[in-house]
Amino acid sequence: MRTKLSVVVAGVGLLLTAVPVVAHHAFSAEFDANKPVKLRGTVTKVELINPHAWIHIDVKSPDGKVVSWQVEGGAPNALLRRGFTKNSLPPGAEILVEGFLAKDASNRANGREVTLADGSKLFLGSSGTGAPEDGRDPGERR
Amino acid sequence: MSHRVVAVLWVLAAVVVGLSLASVPVVAQAPPAAAKTTAVKPWTAPRTPDGQPDLQGMWLNFDSTPFERPATEPRPGVEPTTPGQISGFAEDIATRSPRRRSLVVDPPDGKVPVMPWAEAKRDYDLAHLGDSWEHHGPWERCITRSVPGGIFPTGYDSAYRILQTPGYVVILYEMIHEARVISVDGRPHVPQDIRLWNGDARGRWEGQTLVVETTNYSDKGSIATNAATGRMKGIPQSEALHVVERFTLVDANTIDYEVAIEDPKVYTRPWKVAMPLNRDESYRMYEYSCHEGNENYMKSALGGGRLEDKAAEEAAKNKEK
Repeated sequence: MRTKLSVVVAGVGLLLTAVPVVAHHAFSAEFDANKPVKLRGTVTKVELINPHAWIHIDVKSPDGKVVSWQVEGGAPNALLRRGFTKNSLPPGAEILVEGFLAKDASNRANGREVTLADGSKLFLGSSGTGAPEDGRDPGERR
Repeated sequence: MSHRVVAVLWVLAAVVVGLSLASVPVVAQAPPAAAKTTAVKPWTAPRTPDGQPDLQGMWLNFDSTPFERPATEPRPGVEPTTPGQISGFAEDIATRSPRRRSLVVDPPDGKVPVMPWAEAKRDYDLAHLGDSWEHHGPWERCITRSVPGGIFPTGYDSAYRILQTPGYVVILYEMIHEARVISVDGRPHVPQDIRLWNGDARGRWEGQTLVVETTNYSDKGSIATNAATGRMKGIPQSEALHVVERFTLVDANTIDYEVAIEDPKVYTRPWKVAMPLNRDESYRMYEYSCHEGNENYMKSALGGGRLEDKAAEEAAKNKEK
């Protein structure tokens, strides 16, 4: 029992520096946290704009059809602080996007993480927008 | 688990607790050697050509202090926290906020004295987001982040550029590219029958403090528009709202910001929020492309609502069969 208590106290102690989440309700109005999605495709365009960056990708479906998707990311300052640059996602880059589907059944998703062809990952800075905490946010601590 | 590991964990916990307790400000505490220190000359702000204290520059207030005092009572020696309360951005930017328990500094318990009807209205709007644009906040409609709501810290774009010209102070907010033009020449407020989303602001200087008094609000807005304000997001404004902001230059890189909010139709007593604004001339403010109506978002949110309605209809039909 004493052992367990000390683990709990130490754990809580580490959480002392945790900061409050910003859970924007607009996320849940627009995207569905219960519909995670994985999109594999090529970048056609990146809009690095405030308040949300948009990454446009062409996704090839199994039947060969190419469908255009739009993936929402965070604000430019937030992305740049995460190591994103204007050249991070050049047109033609092959990427895997993980995120959450739009509720209105359109080809849009809120992006959580992008995996590039070389295996490196870019967090899309959607924390602060109410996206669920699924362990992808490098800033998350549990 | 071995005794050594247990001991290390206790030491670690004690160090972390000790560090956080050490930085909690206690109002009555005076430095023990106060009598011996030499008198410190108060800092004097440079002036603009027309004699106003110079507040100009790029100011940020990314701040992870909770808006209201968290609900759980602390165990002795341990700060409360809710598991999973984490944010990516706030850590990236150095926040120099004093270790307050909440941004709400008055009432002393850090809780806003909101009337039940206002919370009921907020809850109703939240439950009907898919029904109409009317239930979405003014920020989501790209109208305004409100005054003073626009200065409450949030996860991104908590940046303000202050400019001064003879007779005016202008605050440009990164969010929704809003610009407040505040006269400091002593002119009166507009007549009472004129009502504005963000009220009518008049400024005056008291020493190095810019005091901005805002009246003439309409009842269309919300006092807070971002989720970091917790349950205050979506609480309505009434025409009785009266706001007094104080921007005090305390040194070349810090403005102490404090706002007193009074709205007898919504709150049982006045309340105050305070936080520092920190200068950062290296911060680049990006154009905020959010335009009134926010068509993309609204179509998406309401479209989703219509799909949900359809699905519910289908489910009901199938049940009847």
